[in-house]
Amino acid sequence: MARRKFATLKRFLDYIGLEGDRTIFTWISASEGERFANVIKGVTAKVRALGPASKLVKKL
Amino acid sequence: MENIDKKLREEAKRLLEEKRVDALVGYETGTLPLTATPCFITNPEDAEKLVWNALCTQNLAKYVHDLISQHRESQKRVKPEDRKKKVFGVVARGCTTRSIILHLQERQYARDEIVIIGVPCTGYVDRKQLSILVNGEDIQEGALEGDQLVVKTIAGEKRIPLQDALSGNCLTCKFNNPVICDVMIGEKAPAIAGAAQEYAEVEAFENLSTEERWAYFTKEMAKCIRCYACRQACPSCYCRICFVEQSQPQWVGLGEDATDTQVFQLMRLFHMVGRCVDCGSCISVCPMGVDLRKFLKKLDKDVLELFESRAGASMEDVPPLSIFKEHDKEDFIFNP
Repeated sequence: MARRKFATLKRFLDYIGLEGDRTIFTWISASEGERFANVIKGVTAKVRALGPASKLVKKL
Repeated sequence: MENIDKKLREEAKRLLEEKRVDALVGYETGTLPLTATPCFITNPEDAEKLVWNALCTQNLAKYVHDLISQHRESQKRVKPEDRKKKVFGVVARGCTTRSIILHLQERQYARDEIVIIGVPCTGYVDRKQLSILVNGEDIQEGALEGDQLVVKTIAGEKRIPLQDALSGNCLTCKFNNPVICDVMIGEKAPAIAGAAQEYAEVEAFENLSTEERWAYFTKEMAKCIRCYACRQACPSCYCRICFVEQSQPQWVGLGEDATDTQVFQLMRLFHMVGRCVDCGSCISVCPMGVDLRKFLKKLDKDVLELFESRAGASMEDVPPLSIFKEHDKEDFIFNP
């Protein structure tokens, strides 16, 4: 269920105009230390490329 | 249409007299010209009030759900041996039956608690569109004559083809005949010509740039005054406590901050994945004219593309978000 929900959520957020790269989803097992590190590296690289978020950010 | 009204009244009267239904939800002529309003009938004599025409807008499945849940709630305070079952009748067009199927699939009530009177549908009049067609003038009198609307305003009488005033969702509707029904009134309506272009609007929007899409989303959501009329009218929105009213945790802020409104709309829209039947009730009740359909239709399109499923399209379907298939696309998973 989470899987299907996520597939639609990613598409939908992209559709309304949020950068698709900001929504990232994957599976990592507790034993996959190296994979975890790689995923986080990938995520930070993607987010760094996009810069700070300006959409849906509430300014108090 | 005269004929359909007559048959509908006869059928409703019979159902009430034979006590096959305790109450019936239908449409009656509204108090303003060129309107129809939902009505509840318990007395067989009142069946004469019922009408069925292109002015009947709201999805009545919402009322069926409300009535059944209220009745069940009231029965909780009754001794178990004295509890009564109530059956509700409903006048249902295609989209209403789809909503009913959705409720049945989501186990909201049992099939034997409702009697569906199916009616053919060729689309309903969009009040906002009609208002544009008469240049925003106050409609003083109006009548439906065949496929034309005769509208009298301060500027004089005007004849408007019904087709021009139809709601956007009706122009591309694929389910204009009841999907399920116990009694069918009249002949099945012919298929809608524009049904093939159902997703044309969504596809055009997909082709815009990210910034253009975001600009449109923010522009539309800036209109929203958060009256929650969309939620109240939506047959798929039946949570007892909606996330907007929850305070622990508080999902959405209650102020007038633009992001709060965007998040509210985003969350409500996203709750419609595989559940929106495109009845247009939310849009027709929206006092600000927010283009919700642009976003709801996208969810419908995605669910059809990804999971080959449509809300309420058949009784045998399983809600798409409650199952999983091996060949589901996996391109959304991030693998560095």
